Formats: sequence, structure tokens, C-alpha cells
Amino acid sequence: MKKIVTAALVAALLGGGSSYALAVERGGDLTFGRYADSLFLDPVLNDANVDIWILTNLYDTLIRSTPDGTDLEPGLATEWAVSDDGTEVTLTLREGVKFADGSDMTAEDVKWSLDRARNPENGIWNGLIGSIDAVEIADPSTIVLKLKNPDPTIIPALAVFNTAILPKALFEAEPGATDAEKAESFAEHPVGTGPFVFDSWERGTRMRMVRNPHHWELGEDGEPLPYLDSVTFEVIPDDATRILKLEAGELGGSEFIPFARIAELDANPNITMELFPSTRVAYLNMSVRPELSDGTPNPLADVKVRQALNHAIDKDAIIQIVTYGTGTKQQSYMSSTTPMARLEGEPYPYDLEKAKQLLGESEWADGFDVSIYALAGNADELAIDAAVQQMWSQLGVNLNIEQVDNATRTAHYRAGDFQMRNSAWTNDINDPSQITSYIAYYPLIQSVYSGWNNDEVNQLFEQSQQELDPEARAAQYERIQEIHISEAPIIYLYETPYPVALQSNVKGFYQIPLGNNIFAETYIEK
Amino acid sequence: MPSPSYILTRLLQIIPTFLFIMVVVFVLVRLLPGDPASAILGERATDEAVARINAQLGLDEPVPVQFAIFVERFLQGDLGTSIHLKMPVVQLIAQRLPVTLMLTAYAALLALLLALPLAFAAALKRDRAADAVIRGAFQVGLSTPVFYIGLVLLTIFAANLRWFPVGGFGETLADRLYHLFLPALTLALSLSAVLMRNLRASIIEVLGAEYVDFARAKGLRPRIVMARHVLRNALISTVTLFGLSMGTLIGGAVITETVFAIPGAGRLMIDSIYSRDYPVVQGLTLALAILVSLAFLITDLVQAALDPRIGR
Repeated sequence: MKKIVTAALVAALLGGGSSYALAVERGGDLTFGRYADSLFLDPVLNDANVDIWILTNLYDTLIRSTPDGTDLEPGLATEWAVSDDGTEVTLTLREGVKFADGSDMTAEDVKWSLDRARNPENGIWNGLIGSIDAVEIADPSTIVLKLKNPDPTIIPALAVFNTAILPKALFEAEPGATDAEKAESFAEHPVGTGPFVFDSWERGTRMRMVRNPHHWELGEDGEPLPYLDSVTFEVIPDDATRILKLEAGELGGSEFIPFARIAELDANPNITMELFPSTRVAYLNMSVRPELSDGTPNPLADVKVRQALNHAIDKDAIIQIVTYGTGTKQQSYMSSTTPMARLEGEPYPYDLEKAKQLLGESEWADGFDVSIYALAGNADELAIDAAVQQMWSQLGVNLNIEQVDNATRTAHYRAGDFQMRNSAWTNDINDPSQITSYIAYYPLIQSVYSGWNNDEVNQLFEQSQQELDPEARAAQYERIQEIHISEAPIIYLYETPYPVALQSNVKGFYQIPLGNNIFAETYIEK
Repeated sequence: MPSPSYILTRLLQIIPTFLFIMVVVFVLVRLLPGDPASAILGERATDEAVARINAQLGLDEPVPVQFAIFVERFLQGDLGTSIHLKMPVVQLIAQRLPVTLMLTAYAALLALLLALPLAFAAALKRDRAADAVIRGAFQVGLSTPVFYIGLVLLTIFAANLRWFPVGGFGETLADRLYHLFLPALTLALSLSAVLMRNLRASIIEVLGAEYVDFARAKGLRPRIVMARHVLRNALISTVTLFGLSMGTLIGGAVITETVFAIPGAGRLMIDSIYSRDYPVVQGLTLALAILVSLAFLITDLVQAALDPRIGR
């Protein structure tokens, strides 16, 4: 009896196991519809999500984010260790990694790539690894990072796209005198260790990447990834056209589906409508300075006014109107997918009576006029503002919506010459430090140019940047978020997932919360 | 036929117009709030990063100095490098402008093919049922926004009936003519409506003219009367209208290129204005100014060829 049961169990396991392993199918081209074309495929010098989110298919980093974005896993480094005093990081490099041209990846390539990435002259991301003082090659498989000070963010920082490893020899062989010139030339035919290698690019229309025959990572079937032969990105700026093309079967997948169309695509039996958890938050930014740029007193400088405005917004209604129910209420200035995010529910539940009471306690009990900059023609922002306008009218607050283009809004905002604006944020690193340094910390960009300057938060942040004890650091972030909420320098709104629609036979695609599109494990079921 | 001196005069007139446009565009684009560095760096920009990049781009120099550098490079055939796409502007224009030209030429041709025969039919069957139907149909085409027409055509003929691909540009010439049919038709509909009305009115007027009666009285066959007398005279004002519409057609291409995902200069212009990509905006405006000037010149010449009273 026991033998039969054992045999049955073994058969079940083997049968189940092998059918799972045979589930992936190799081959084919996936055509993916994007809303905009990439600009510049260099990990260090790029500055746009359109580039960042596909770079991970061409290049690898030493450490990687797990698919759900909550943890880190080995990439080009198989092991890492931080010294007790936190000033040294030792990384063991993976053996046998080759670039797409067949040349070996060496410790030299790693050192050169990291030095390039941390150079303050190069691009805008170098600050993320600003704590590195020197990169040393201990031996051909070991890299040691000497830090200027203990840095709790250095490990997550090594999973960010700008620390990707490039082939030093090929890059430096490019024509050009400066790094920027060589980068421009190299970016026309980039070579990395990633699952795909760049093939062709018709600007504004189509970009193609093909499988990298030398890629190091193995798939479920024991053969190297990727499963696909190639991925072709097609640029289709119009949302309606992009969806039509998908429905007509001319695309395998399509990103940035408007919220209004999600339910319809979900109901389509030929389409899989994915909603990937993201780090994206949408909120309203305010200037909290005592005076506006024209010298008049600013009602938003009063914390009671800000709290009242927060309480007066029915977030559920906004989530329904704008995101058709796919969003969730913001619980903190950072998304719930950010490590150490406060997860205790919405900070300002909808309470019109409380809002009126708070406003009554301020100097602005009779209401006031306030203006907000929205992006012209942006359906989501205008829907939010129209709803908020209606809700605040019940407090006697008159919201004036000014539609401008992006560059104009950015100019006003950077000069601190605005009263309110629609804002959004997506993390680039799996750590709360980046978003906090921009939104809550004054010295960098005056807390997203709001002018909110809280000494305790500033100090806590600076301490947290060198705090190696995860619990102590978590406590610091708890306090920072607590203060931010009580002072309410922003209007908390919602978080939304990344909406990607795929043909139902396309499997294994995912987008991590940081936004990167991962095609390495994607396959097409025939 | 227009005289050589007429042609030469018209050609020379393009040059001062051109210079004027160069200065205006250069100044206007810098008057817009915002700057290329902020546009590139976005919300994550620190003041130092923005200042650094603006300096790299030479934007911290006084505007007259920047203009002098621009003109100097222009005379060497260099229109600068796109700030966003990091490509030479000349190369960008060479890639994108022909696409728009192909689309607008195709649209112009379709507009003529639609307008000419139907204008004649409407004029000859004036005030009868055929006339009313033709005019009504064109009225609908004229009043419906280009964006909407494009999406409707795309939904019905591409996505549902699969007679045409859903947007895109295609690879070979034949493939491209296939891909561009629906977008060209979209653009052509409103233009053809305008042309049709004008030509119909023109034909009706000419049909009632004395020299037509005289030609018939002389015993000329109807076909020759039509071709040599009616058509040639009726076309004069329509040709003018057609030439003047070229600028509008290129403008309409922006929307069509977005809806149909065509990599043309219209989209490039809009994107570059939004991202404050000064070199591209300047270079593209100049290229378009030359093209539109040439279109006007050709219109004048055709007009002069049709009407010997012009162009001496």
C-alpha cells in the first residue's frame, strides 16, 4: 500500500513538475505598443521613464528587484556583504557572464561602469550612489565599494538602472571626445549583458531588440533566457489607436491603457488586462509659503486650512470618477509599495463637517480663491480638478483651474511661483529615501518647491541616510510620515497600478513597481 | 506663360520672408515659459542640474549671441542638434518631413480626385437632387473634426473590416501607400469640401459667361468648350484656394499623424514645442516656411499659366 502511495505521489510530482516546465514555449516576436518613443538609451545620461523602463532588457545591474518589487535578488553579483561599520560593501561577481558581442564581462567593466555612474558630471542619477568614495577590484571576481559614510540605501541603489554594467572597451572605442559624445554614439548600437540586444530603431516609429545569445540567466527549461526571439516596440501616441491595434491583433501588448477602457478590455476574452502594482502616486502639491508671488497672503500657509481642504475631498468619489475604481487611497506621500511606507489607512477621511470646523478655526473661515495648474488636455488631471472644485465649493473655497503645457508649469513650479498643481511620482529605487528627499526634505528642492521646511523632518532624514539599523531607520521614517501627515503640505489623493493589456496568449510579462517592463520571461503560447 | 522676370522676382521675394521668419521663431520660442533643461529633467531637477545643462546647451548666452551662432551654423548647413533626441536636426528633418509631405501630397491628390468630378456633376446638375446630395455630403465632411473622422475610419475600415492596417507607416513604397490611404483620406475630406464648393460656384459662374456662349455659337463641340474655356477659367480661383490650403493641410497633418501613429514632421513639431527643443522647432519652422513659400510660388505660377493676364 505504502509503495503504491509513494509511487503515485512521485508520479504526480514528476508529471506535475514536467508539465509545468514544458509550459513555456520558445520563439516568436512580440510587438508591444508604447505611447512614446525612447529618447536616449544610456543608463547614466538618460532622464526619462520612456528610456528607463526598457533599459533592463538590454542591460543588467549587479542587484535586481524581485518581480513583485518588494525585495532584492542577485543580478550580475551573486553575493554581497556590508561591513559592520557600514563603510564597505563587498560584491561577488557572477562567473561566465558575457556581453552580447561575446566578450567576457570583467571586474574592470564593473568598476568602470560604477565610476561612470557616480561621476557628478554625468547625468542626474549619480546622487543615488553618491556615498561611494572608491570602487576597488579585490580580485577578478570581487568588487569592493569604499563608502564615505554608512549608507543604508547603497544596496537598493545597486538595483537602479543607472548602475547597469556596460562594456568599457567597446564604449571607449566609440568616436567622440567627451563621455556624452561617446555615449551618443554607443547608444546607437548598445551592447549589454541583458536578455535582449538592440537591433534597429526607426525613430518615432519602431524599435526592435532581439534575443541575446550570450545571456547568462536560465529559463525554466534550463536553457538561457529569453524565450522570445525578439521584441518590437511600436510607437502609437494615441490611446484609442493603440487599443484598436491590440484588439485587431496587430499588437501583442499595449501599455498605459486609459482607466475608462480597463473594464471593457477586461471583459474581452482575447485580452488579458493586467494591473501591476506600482509606486505611482497622484496628489495635489501646494505652496505653503506665507505669501504668493504677487505679495498677497497665502491661505495655504495655514495648516488648519490644509487639513480642512484634505478632509473636504471624497477620495472614493475621485477614485471612481478618475480611475474607474482601479486606484486606492493614498496612505502616505509614498506609495504603499515603498519599503517602510505607513500603512494605517487614509490620513484624512472624508468629513465635510470637520473640514468646515477646521476652516472656521483659521483666518479664512469665509472661504477664499485658490488656483491650480493642470496639464492642458490631460483627462485625469482635469477630472480630478473638476471634482475637487465642486467639493471645495461647499467650503466657500473657489478653485480656479489653469491649463498650461508641461514646460510652462515646470517653470512656474521651479520658481515657487504657483499656488497648487497636480503632481505625480514614481520611485526609481526600492527605498523611501528618494521620494522623501524630494517631497518632504527641504534642502534638495524645497520639498517639491512647496516651501515646506520642517526642521525635525530635515534632521530625521539626514540621520536616516546613515542609519544602518533597519528598525531604527523604520522608526525615523514612521516619524517623518507622521509629521508630514499632521502638517498636510499636500492634498493626498490616490495610487494607481500600471494598466497593461496583452493578448491572452502572451504570458510571463510583468512590470515591476518601479516601472521597468520585464520581457525576459515572456513567451507566446501557440 | 509667366515671364522669367516674374518668376525671378517671386523667388527673390522668398528670401526676406525667410529671414523675418528666422528671427521671429528664434525669439518667440525663447519667450515661452520654461526652458529645455527643465523640460528634459522634469520634476527631479535641482537648480544646479538645470543650470549646468542650460550652460552646456549654450542657453546662458545673450539671445543676439545665440542668434549669431545659429546663423553662422545655418550658413554651413548645420541646423544644430536636437536637445531631446540627440540627433542632428538636419537628419531629423530629412527623416520626418518627407513622411508628412507624402501624406499631404496624397491627401491633396485625393482631395482633387474627390472635388473635381463631383464639383462638375454638382454644377451641371445644379439645384437638382444630385447637387443637393453632393453638397450635403461634403458639408458633413467639412464640419466633422479631423480627429473624429480619423478615428471613425480607423475603427470601421481598419479594426473592424480589416481592409486597412490600424495606423502605422509601412516599409516599402507600395506598403506605405496602403498604410497612408486612410490618413490621407481623413485629411482630404475637409479640404475637398472647400475645393468642391469653390469650384462648383466657379463653374456655374463661367458657364454663364459671354465667352462661353460665344464659343458655343461658333460651333465648337461641347467637350472642347468645357476643356479649353470652362475648366481653365473656373480653375483659376480654385487653384489659388488649393495652394493657400497647403499650409492648413500641413497643420492638419499633426492630428492625423498622432491618431494614425505616423512618424511625420507634424508630430515632431508638436513634441518639440512641448519639450522646448529649440533647435528642432527653429529648423523645422524654417523647412516648413520654405516649403509653404514654394507652394505659394507654384500656385502663382500655375495661376499665371492659366491666366495670361497675370505674370507679365
